[in-house]
Amino acid sequence: MRGERDEIPPGTLEMLILTTLASGPARHGFEIAESILSVSEDVLQVEEGSLYPALQRMLLKGWIRGDWGKTEENRRARFYRLTTEGRRQLEREVERYRRVARAIARVLATA
Amino acid sequence: MSFGEWGRRLARIFDRDRAASELDEEMRLHVELRARQLRERGLSPVEAGYAARRRFGNPLAAHDSSAGVWGWNIWERFIQDVRHALRSLSKSPGFAAVAVATLAAGLGMNTAVFSVVNAVMLRRLPYPEPGRLVSLWEEQLKPDRENFNSSGMQAGSAGSLLRTTVSVANIADYAGSGAFAGMASYDFRAANLTGIGSPERIAGEAVSAGFFEVLGAAPVLGRTFTAADDRPGAPLVVVLTHDFWMERLGGDPEVLGREVLLDGAPYRVIGVMPGLFRSPLQVAYAEDAAEFFVPAAYPKSQLAARGDHDVNVVARLRPGVTVAAAQAALESVSAGLQKQFPRTNANFHAVVAPLGDDLVHKVSGPLWILLAASGVIVLITCVNMANLMLVRAVRRQHESSVRMALGAGRWGLVRQYLTESLIIAGAGCAAGMAVGLALMKKLVAMAPPETPRLAEVAMDWRVFGVAAAVATVTGLVFGLVPAWQASRAQAAEALKTAARGTGTKYQARWRAVLTTAEISLSLVLLVGAGLLLRSFMAAMGVDLGFRTERVLAMKINLPELRYKTGDARFAFFRELEARVKPLPGVEAVAFANRMPMRGGWSTGVSVDPAPDQDLDAAAQAISTGYFETLEIPLLRGRFFTAQDGADAPPVAIVNREFARRYMQDRDPVGGRLRRGTNWCRIVGEVNDIRRRGKLDTINPQVYFSAAQTAQYPVQLSDLAVRTAGDPRRLVHAIQQQVWALDRDQPVTNVRTMQEIVGELVAENRFEMVLLVTFAGVAVLLATTGIFGVLSYLVSQRTSELGIRVALGASPWRILWLVLRQAGGWIGTGLALGAAGALALTYYLEALLFQVKRTDPWTYAGAALLLTAVSLAAALIPARRGAKVDPMTALRYE
Repeated sequence: MRGERDEIPPGTLEMLILTTLASGPARHGFEIAESILSVSEDVLQVEEGSLYPALQRMLLKGWIRGDWGKTEENRRARFYRLTTEGRRQLEREVERYRRVARAIARVLATA
Repeated sequence: MSFGEWGRRLARIFDRDRAASELDEEMRLHVELRARQLRERGLSPVEAGYAARRRFGNPLAAHDSSAGVWGWNIWERFIQDVRHALRSLSKSPGFAAVAVATLAAGLGMNTAVFSVVNAVMLRRLPYPEPGRLVSLWEEQLKPDRENFNSSGMQAGSAGSLLRTTVSVANIADYAGSGAFAGMASYDFRAANLTGIGSPERIAGEAVSAGFFEVLGAAPVLGRTFTAADDRPGAPLVVVLTHDFWMERLGGDPEVLGREVLLDGAPYRVIGVMPGLFRSPLQVAYAEDAAEFFVPAAYPKSQLAARGDHDVNVVARLRPGVTVAAAQAALESVSAGLQKQFPRTNANFHAVVAPLGDDLVHKVSGPLWILLAASGVIVLITCVNMANLMLVRAVRRQHESSVRMALGAGRWGLVRQYLTESLIIAGAGCAAGMAVGLALMKKLVAMAPPETPRLAEVAMDWRVFGVAAAVATVTGLVFGLVPAWQASRAQAAEALKTAARGTGTKYQARWRAVLTTAEISLSLVLLVGAGLLLRSFMAAMGVDLGFRTERVLAMKINLPELRYKTGDARFAFFRELEARVKPLPGVEAVAFANRMPMRGGWSTGVSVDPAPDQDLDAAAQAISTGYFETLEIPLLRGRFFTAQDGADAPPVAIVNREFARRYMQDRDPVGGRLRRGTNWCRIVGEVNDIRRRGKLDTINPQVYFSAAQTAQYPVQLSDLAVRTAGDPRRLVHAIQQQVWALDRDQPVTNVRTMQEIVGELVAENRFEMVLLVTFAGVAVLLATTGIFGVLSYLVSQRTSELGIRVALGASPWRILWLVLRQAGGWIGTGLALGAAGALALTYYLEALLFQVKRTDPWTYAGAALLLTAVSLAAALIPARRGAKVDPMTALRYE
């Protein structure tokens, strides 16, 4: 049906959610999952069972805020937004991710 | 974890239902949106629904994992544990009731005693920077004297250090040592208050100018004393306490400048202290509340007399100076004074101690002992509880094994037992607080009234904190032992050995250790209580040497302003005696400077063979009716008569001890006795009395004629009557006679001698009653411990005993079998307890009277009592064992 799909590498789900929320309007869970899938050109499929626990964890950490609102079809949904703390966390995670990715790339280059 | 995160987590716990339903709604929406998306891609509605759900996975798992994120698991497990514990406790209400009652008794006693200790000794003094305040006194190295310690307690032994108050003349030298930021002196000063209501004698204090500054206390109105006020001849001024201002002057806003008549002299009010202000004397002597302060204004003669030690001193250390450093500075000052004034200062040196410690030094020893005793009670409570829990754990071993076999973790089992223990501890703590509060009120009512800071006894945060901490530790201790035991259970093993084993070897050993510990701890308390009880009985049995039944005493303090000479005071009392004697019900009347047990005077005297040797003797100036009123028998010579008047040759009467100790046991009558420059003829010898009450030693005593009181530095002030009926009924009539002579003259300190005797032993009774109560509770706890454990063991051994009976064992043999086990515990416990008591009663020694701390009778009695009671407790289950019917027992199996 579609091209090959990959599970999201462990530890990066939160970073992806933060990135998704960093641009654009507040989104609910389904939109976040779909957005990650489409921006990654159908490569990164969020495992839906772990999306909601992750969101709860991030709520507790204070990185995101969830406010109840209505979808276009007038359904009740919780819309998530980034907080200032979340923005800072995103920068930290991206920075860390880049560092690790560069290191891995260097190791691969020697192979 | 940040602060905000904690807050959000906490909010989740209290809002869990809403959070859970919101999460459900969110996830449901997700699945629906996914299904719609799939339908739009061409799947049938049914297929789309399946696919969406499949893709989402298990919503319950997601839910659980979210709940895990919220930290609900621990919380949920805890709730579950608590529920389980409550259910299992409610299944054995007897156990729960005994456990909570045991804890309530143990913790209640400890809480009550600690609340008193807290108020009296631990709470900060009501002054700013109380740590810098010190008390200062002088110590005299007493030269060796012959056996001062002949009978009774706390007699200063030969060559001891004698604590004295401070000589006013030395204060300036001490203050100049550089260690102090300020130093002030103070003393009691009572005065007759007239002009406000009926005349009354009220307590006050004479203080030096810096007194209030040293304490850091400021008045609410006006000012305190300056150096200009504190000089002989300065205008008379007074600072009032808040109580005086409110209760005697109705809180008069114009009080400053008003005049108050004290001993007939007008004192101008210059200040009023705040209601919360307490002087050191008020802190130390709760019962005699001073109502006013006047400047000490020491006369020149006193400021020069280094040999007169008569004031209290409080000082504030310079910032950063320690008590030890101040002491070192004072040692060098004292050494200088010893060289400079060898005649007066030779054996004296100054001593400092933190003010707070010093104010309570008289009661701190007994209070620590009571606290320690109540600590032992807590220990016994713990042991008893551990024992109970252990028995319970063994009984539930089967349950534990089954749960383990079904997959419960060891930690889960331990947690279960701990939760139960903590629930019991919590309930016991609450009950203990209630008991403690009731006991605390009882303690305060029972405590000797001169205990400092008694009015401040209350349940404050510190008392609550300590009680809660003790309860928690107790719960952990008695909960951990069985929990640990339970966790050792091997699922398979325990399931195999039938449902009712007597537990493992470990458990048996633990039970033996705990029961033995209970018995030994109880014995320690019993011996302590027994020693105090015997001391008290010894004290009560002491013959005072004078009559106390139906004797009424009162104080009539004649102000010097109105009665200027000793002769004028004698004339007043003789007139009063003449008026009181014919009153109906009066059998005899006497007056003196002081009646026995109401304070006194002692003086240095010399007797003939060695007229230069200074001998210590208690001395009283007494009227002719004194010995008759107090029924002190004459041994030789004669009593005073009306002929021994002011102009007659000076006469004296000595007691038996005086003749024995100072006159080589010769007949004293006809001998001479010097006091100051005055030679008196000794005309009689009377029997000994214990002047200061039952705990007093017998001391050499001299009596002078009241008619000649002008020659001695004492004032007549006590009147005593012996009555035919109830002495209290004469109080009013005598008061009327006093007021007929002088309507401004207060009559104070009206007490029967019986009442005073009771008050004097109040402190000993207090300690004795408490320790006896503690010991009683300890024995009760130990007995229930033995009873519980043995009952349990017998019920566990029913089948074994049944087999023994079936094989022909006699009931006596069975009885012996069970009792032997108890006997072993009791014997070991008694041996350990006796050793502990021998070591610990060392701290009790100061409270003992005519009883040695090693008194074999007390030890034997305590051991016997404990053995009897514990064997009785053991007998009940033992008899049950002996009565086992072999058929029933075997069928039971």
